[in-house]
Amino acid sequence: SSVMAELMPSDSRRCSYFFLYDGSKVKGEGDPTRDGICYFYPEETSLDKQELLCGQLAGVGRCVSELSSSPVRVLRLRRNKFAIRMKDEFFWALGCSAEVPTIRVCELLDQLINLFCFYNGSVRQSYQRNSRETLAARWAQYLSHLQSGSSELQHIFSCLRTIDSTNVDPLLLLKAALILQACQRCPLVLAGCILFRGRVVSTQMSPELTMKVMVYESENYAKVQRPNGPSTSSSFGGDVSSTTVFLTMSELQDLQSAPVDKDFRYSHSTPHKDAHPKKTRLSRTLSELAFSGSDSFGPGSSQSPQKVSLSHCLSESDNSVFSPAGSQSTADPFNPSPQPLKHQFSSGNNSEDTLYESCYHSFHSEGAGGSRIHSEGGDGSVFEENSHLSAGGGDGDTACEMMVKCGNEESCDDKVMVGESGAGNETTQDHRTDRDPPPPCPDNTDESPLVPITLYQHRVKGLVLALLVEPHFLSDTPSMEEVYHSSLASLNGLEAHLRAISPGAPGTPGPYIFAHYDSIQSTLTTNLSGRPEGAPEHPFVRATSLLHSHFSNTETLQEAIIRSAGAAVYGTSSVAHETYFQQHGGSLRNSGIPNHQDSAFSLPSKARHRLLKHGVNLL
Amino acid sequence: MKCFLIASESAEVLFYWTDPEFQQNVQEKYGASQEEGQGLPAFEDSVSTLFAPIIISCSTMVDRLSDSYTSFTTENNHIYVLQKFDECLYIAVNGDGEESENDMRRKVYVMKKLIEVLFGMVTLSSNLLRKELRPQDTAQRVRLWKHLQSLLETYSHLRDNDQSFLVEAVERLIHPTLCEQCIEFLERRLVQQLNSSVERAGEEVLHAFILVHTKLLAFYSTRSASRLPTSDLLTLIIMAQSMYPSNADLDDPVPEDIESTSGSGPESFYTPEPSPTDRDSSSSDKPVRESTPVFEFMDPDIQMAEDSLQTLEVPPPDPSTPRRVFLEISGKDRPYPMMPHSMYCLPLWPGITLVLLTKIPTSALAISVYKILDAFDQLEKRLSESQEGSAAPRGTPNIHDIRGKLDKLIKTLVTSEVQSAQLQNVWTEFKNRAFARGGSGFNKDLIPWCKNMKTQLCGIYRQYFLIDSGPADIPQRLSPALQERAQTMAQEKLMDWKDFLLVKSKRNITMVSYLEDFPGLVHFICVDRFSDQMIAPSLSIAERTTSELGKGPVAQFIKNKVWNLVSTMRCFLRKGYSTVTLRDGDFYFCYFLWFENENGYKLEAGDIPILPDDSAPIGMLAWDYYRKLLRYKSKNHQGEVVKCYELLTVHLGVIPTEIILQHCRQLASKLWEPSRNPLL
Repeated sequence: SSVMAELMPSDSRRCSYFFLYDGSKVKGEGDPTRDGICYFYPEETSLDKQELLCGQLAGVGRCVSELSSSPVRVLRLRRNKFAIRMKDEFFWALGCSAEVPTIRVCELLDQLINLFCFYNGSVRQSYQRNSRETLAARWAQYLSHLQSGSSELQHIFSCLRTIDSTNVDPLLLLKAALILQACQRCPLVLAGCILFRGRVVSTQMSPELTMKVMVYESENYAKVQRPNGPSTSSSFGGDVSSTTVFLTMSELQDLQSAPVDKDFRYSHSTPHKDAHPKKTRLSRTLSELAFSGSDSFGPGSSQSPQKVSLSHCLSESDNSVFSPAGSQSTADPFNPSPQPLKHQFSSGNNSEDTLYESCYHSFHSEGAGGSRIHSEGGDGSVFEENSHLSAGGGDGDTACEMMVKCGNEESCDDKVMVGESGAGNETTQDHRTDRDPPPPCPDNTDESPLVPITLYQHRVKGLVLALLVEPHFLSDTPSMEEVYHSSLASLNGLEAHLRAISPGAPGTPGPYIFAHYDSIQSTLTTNLSGRPEGAPEHPFVRATSLLHSHFSNTETLQEAIIRSAGAAVYGTSSVAHETYFQQHGGSLRNSGIPNHQDSAFSLPSKARHRLLKHGVNLL
Repeated sequence: MKCFLIASESAEVLFYWTDPEFQQNVQEKYGASQEEGQGLPAFEDSVSTLFAPIIISCSTMVDRLSDSYTSFTTENNHIYVLQKFDECLYIAVNGDGEESENDMRRKVYVMKKLIEVLFGMVTLSSNLLRKELRPQDTAQRVRLWKHLQSLLETYSHLRDNDQSFLVEAVERLIHPTLCEQCIEFLERRLVQQLNSSVERAGEEVLHAFILVHTKLLAFYSTRSASRLPTSDLLTLIIMAQSMYPSNADLDDPVPEDIESTSGSGPESFYTPEPSPTDRDSSSSDKPVRESTPVFEFMDPDIQMAEDSLQTLEVPPPDPSTPRRVFLEISGKDRPYPMMPHSMYCLPLWPGITLVLLTKIPTSALAISVYKILDAFDQLEKRLSESQEGSAAPRGTPNIHDIRGKLDKLIKTLVTSEVQSAQLQNVWTEFKNRAFARGGSGFNKDLIPWCKNMKTQLCGIYRQYFLIDSGPADIPQRLSPALQERAQTMAQEKLMDWKDFLLVKSKRNITMVSYLEDFPGLVHFICVDRFSDQMIAPSLSIAERTTSELGKGPVAQFIKNKVWNLVSTMRCFLRKGYSTVTLRDGDFYFCYFLWFENENGYKLEAGDIPILPDDSAPIGMLAWDYYRKLLRYKSKNHQGEVVKCYELLTVHLGVIPTEIILQHCRQLASKLWEPSRNPLL
């Protein structure tokens, strides 16, 4: 079974330095460098060294950016590498040891700054309003949050921490999704997520936004009291709290434009409804799936929620990428008119459950969807639908269709497969422009205005319902009560169920290791447990890290086999997934001379067969 | 937009090269203030001003954090690569995306190698090297920098266009008969005549080779010569190309010529052993090479006899003047790096060059100086490692041998015209401190004196080997008449072959001959890392010729893929992966590295060292990576000759993997089968 490894961060990826330096405070000749140091980690660093690092790095950064008329992004030393951000007069630097992939260091710094802006708004204004000490505590908090509690593999992919889906009844996941959906009946609720003990159970938000929201949860969970923090307690007691957070314009638009069935909300619809017709999202599909009635439910509507969220996220990053025809509509071809939620709620648990069982695919595992699709391959209706899609089919689920299409080819023999997938990959390549290195500069620091919004949180023991709501939600007592009471019972029930689940037995080391990364949902499935196997020096982890970097940098790269003395690892990458596989045992003794009987070259077919039972479909 | 800069710690420009875009960029930033005729110093000043903060910050980081910058990347993907060698900081800048960080670091290391070949042991003293790289006299500086700029440009061009410089191995021209004839010609006629002539002024030809563009037609070494290391040979090819650049477009042949002249079929690429001597010197009983000791000279203020620097002369523009090059020789017990040689580059026709490498009469002195220098270096290391306060046990064993040798050397120097007073003074002082009863003995106090001694020795070496002998001396070189005779002999020998050779060098091996046996194979490169030779089908991307790869853009695309593959495979090799296959777009790439013993028996792959991220680039020019790899592998195979091979292939992605792997297997055995004694 898959085990989400839970580990302490290893030293190799612990950030060795982080600082924010404000150049505007050090203008004159006599101004000491320390005046510009807003925050420095590790805090126990001597002031001399702080000044040295800030002064030298900021100075060199300025000089280089003048020479190249562009801000410095990465600054490498022999022993450390620094991701750099230069914005206005601010200079951020985050340093890790030289072994950490550069792409990862940059990601970490972006996440850190984004987190700060999410909870505090613009950096300049924060420093005008708050003392350095107050904000230093926040930087420290975000930094420790980003570095804590994920395995080396999770760190490599920088993925969301989710509950172990293999261990959880899919019904519970669906229940969580339903709770979120129910909350959305209040028009002031934009989107939400449900977390259990610091792990995602269900989310309606992008992985990036979910990751940000989770910090507040962990902070509250740890009972960190911020004396002058923005938290407000409410009349609902200690289990409800809220804080102001800041979204970028694009984040906000994505949330507002998502066509939740606003007509069926019990008040006015949002003005953005038609502005972004391409957006769709999980909750809607769930409702359609769940309540479209058993009559209309057939193989043709077997789109998993995962599929829809996939297209949602993709279209978020670049609409044009997955809709070559450019004419896709949000209307689900199978369920053009979703029915009112209220009505469906009355339909009772039993019938709901039956439906869920037949249609629900785990949020976490694409594999569940994949294998299901495969098993349904016989009836062909899905594939017929998809066969013309790469030519510009109108329903906008191109990414998913490609997966489905691949699934269909499973029955073909290997030789044909190679050729076919070669041709198929042509299409894939075109769609993989989003795999370029992430845009060097996140777009939400001071440049685009940040919009204040409220993060509402309802805790039931280890379970947390977190909602992004319009700011006046807090003053709208009826709405608040409605959301609170409508979800309370379900949350209690969900909590009890989740608590009752015994943690999965740590996976016995099987004859192989794999890691499957879903880049759309930012989730990871692996059978590699924690230390010592998950340590960075583990051959599989090393190879995975290296291959992931190559996949990220070379958009045309689809498959790789690499062999060292320690291990032969196979990696494959598609638009939405990366999968890594290593087979134990077998003779590693080889001369390294090309040999088609060499076991390393059978890894792709082994991976294909072995991983099916984990719900990973590599066909 | 590219720039290359060498700077001293005090931000003094020791060398720079820029492309027009970078120059324009700088001028726009600082206003085109320079007047006509003064372009160079003014531009040099702005470069210095621009980079000064970076250079100074770099020193500060080293001093206070013992760490130094290695690279910067900006958001618009400008890359700056920095590398410190002793007190010289090398900076490469790229703003046009044409070079990766790895390419740029390689360029930095290659530049360092070029400077070592040009300046020899003087590079071991930063203080002396600084003065050497930046002559006081402006005209002389311009000339030197132009020379270095040309070498850098030549290297960059070769790296981007020549497969042998891509993988850093020598490519032979494949024509067994002609090859054999030429070696015989070099051995029996040319070198014999030269070495028996009285006009050779004490010089002795050690190596002679004929280059057709960058490809080796024939290479001959005399019996007394030691093996010429590949890194040195590649550097010499860069120098020859820089002197007589080949214009690829002009002498590109018309397709008809190829049909009539080049043999077809795979058998044509098997050639006999190129030269018996070459073989012998590379055989097993050769001692394993030691790593070159690295000297460090920390004290920049060592007093040098200033007047000795005045004797620095601008080399006369006489074409018959040889280039002084410093190459590694293998002594009986150990290798001696940076030993002085003279290089004669005799153009036969455009694109075809005869190169002679001679031993100079005073070269024995270089070995003595090197031995003494090395002894002081080891002593210094020993002293700095020794416990604070406690005296090291009477220095190192060989410092006492050295004492006698150095006394003897100084006696020799006194009789010559070389200024050695300063060396004598320092040596006397050293002896007083180290050996005398009242002296402080061998402890840390002696370290500055070790450094000082090394600088003095480098100074002596410089006077002896780098500066042209005074006008009173008889010129130490093959007489112009002798050179001319050599040139004429070679021209006569190759007259009938000249056109064929020029064509052949462009079509050394063609993919056509492989297509039947290996359908779907697009390209391959094989490298024998034991003899450092490579073979690969020609990749002609010239617009007006059609190769098997098609015309212009398609060929260019595949060429880029091959170049990227080599760089990717180096990334994996660096991390210890010796087998790599990649499915990339429409292509399937394979890379294999394996070891064999002398009988062709495949050795188990085993582990390959994992290199730290800041280590020198993998290759032969920048750093003898493969030489070290072979030595590493030999540890487990005592008494056996370990050979190392690499194979890179590019297949069409539609070919089944199994077939691709069979192709690789067949290629590997076909090209390297020991019984057939292939071309390499």
